[in-house]
Amino acid sequence: MRKLAEKILSMDRRAIYLLMASAALLPFLTGPLGLPSRVSPEVKAVYDRIESLPEGSPFLISMDFDPASKPELYPMAEALVRHAFRKNLRVIGMNLWVTGSGMAEKILSDVAEEYGKKYGRDYVYLGWAPGATNVILGLGQDIYKTYPRDYYGNETSGMPVLEGVRTLKDIPFMVDLAAGDPGIETWVVYGKAKSMAGGCTAVIAPGMYAFLNSGQLVGLIGGMRGAAEYEALLKEMGKATVGMDIQSTTHVLILGLILLSNFAFFATRRRR
Amino acid sequence: MFLRQYVPMAIAFVMGVVFAVQYYVPHPASEELLTTVNDWLIVVSGFSMVLGLASLMGSHWAKVRRGVPGWGYSLVVFLGILGTLAVGIASKGKMFAGEGLTLTALGWVYDNMLVPLQGTVFSLLAFFMASATFRTFRARNLEAGLLLTAAFLVMLGHVPLGEYIWDKVLGFLPPKADQVMGWIMNVPNMAAKRGILLGVGLGMIATSLKIIFGIERAYMGEGE
Repeated sequence: MRKLAEKILSMDRRAIYLLMASAALLPFLTGPLGLPSRVSPEVKAVYDRIESLPEGSPFLISMDFDPASKPELYPMAEALVRHAFRKNLRVIGMNLWVTGSGMAEKILSDVAEEYGKKYGRDYVYLGWAPGATNVILGLGQDIYKTYPRDYYGNETSGMPVLEGVRTLKDIPFMVDLAAGDPGIETWVVYGKAKSMAGGCTAVIAPGMYAFLNSGQLVGLIGGMRGAAEYEALLKEMGKATVGMDIQSTTHVLILGLILLSNFAFFATRRRR
Repeated sequence: MFLRQYVPMAIAFVMGVVFAVQYYVPHPASEELLTTVNDWLIVVSGFSMVLGLASLMGSHWAKVRRGVPGWGYSLVVFLGILGTLAVGIASKGKMFAGEGLTLTALGWVYDNMLVPLQGTVFSLLAFFMASATFRTFRARNLEAGLLLTAAFLVMLGHVPLGEYIWDKVLGFLPPKADQVMGWIMNVPNMAAKRGILLGVGLGMIATSLKIIFGIERAYMGEGE
């Protein structure tokens, strides 16, 4: 028994890598697990806030992430933009991470095409500007001075989608999707939006609960799980719902490894 | 001495005091001042990127020149930067010709090189995390045991398969896995995070005051 426990504790890391790869590939072999995620109140709050907005309201979405966080935040952004277009909101997209600007553009243009939305009238992509903190402060002062031109080089002043919008205070609701800094915390500190929600990677989600509890965020979508919950609310199975199967198998494997290593650890300790 | 030390200190003092007061003055002139200075800062931030790029290239060039171990990776940095630059300049921002292609050459590089490369590197974390968890996550004492239990419950409640297992094994208990996870995140986790946030906030105020009054001078390169 002791020998077996010691063998387990000194398991080659390549064996763990192999197990991990097998767990990640398992859903591809078995097909969808079909296990639903229960919708958390934090995610439901974001959905309800968008639902409560009158048609034609401006809605700002800042996609502050790069390709490294694509599996978690890309489906989240798609789901939010889909919801906004379904509600016929005027979508204003932007981004504070230069390496994510191309992805953010793709999200907006792809979903807009899906819903037959017209650029400049139904949505706009402002793109990236340097100095995240100052960009947010600038948006609180005058959007047109901070972004005189959009991502494609068009003049922002006079765009129908921005009608009646001069500062962040003219936007009734915004969501920041963040993979780190600058992100939700930066928007909470420097932004002056009327109400705001956040979406983030699962790693940084625990740090955002303080803002949620203080009311600075009306809701929070955390990680791929949050994105899958949002897709469930929209009744649309997207990339996050599919991805949750892989996350399920890998999480359960890691939990199994934790249990195994602790059993082995105590077995060897007791003998000693 | 005067230009290198007293002038930056004077600028830091004046700007620090002016903008600390500006926050509490809701006059249009005060708002205009903030907008103007903010515009300057956005422009300066743009230049800082050029500075960052020059610094990055400088440090990697030094590695290549000295032939330090792993200098080949520094060469890859140059290939990446110069290659992307060349593609951007040569394509002149024009869209690709051909059916179904609506990308610029730079867009192609972004979609087919940067996105998969970053995604791959980040995905590798899962393997290292699994290995590290197996080796280090052990209940060696009470504190480690508490941390382990909390992490275990959060991970279990985070995925549908974990919820399914909870329902099958511990379904007789009133709270569900996601509710247990929610409690951990909303109560003990938040209490700790709030303490950290307050500490960081107070630290930021203290550091700001030290910079404004010239006690903290590291930003001028002092102490290097």
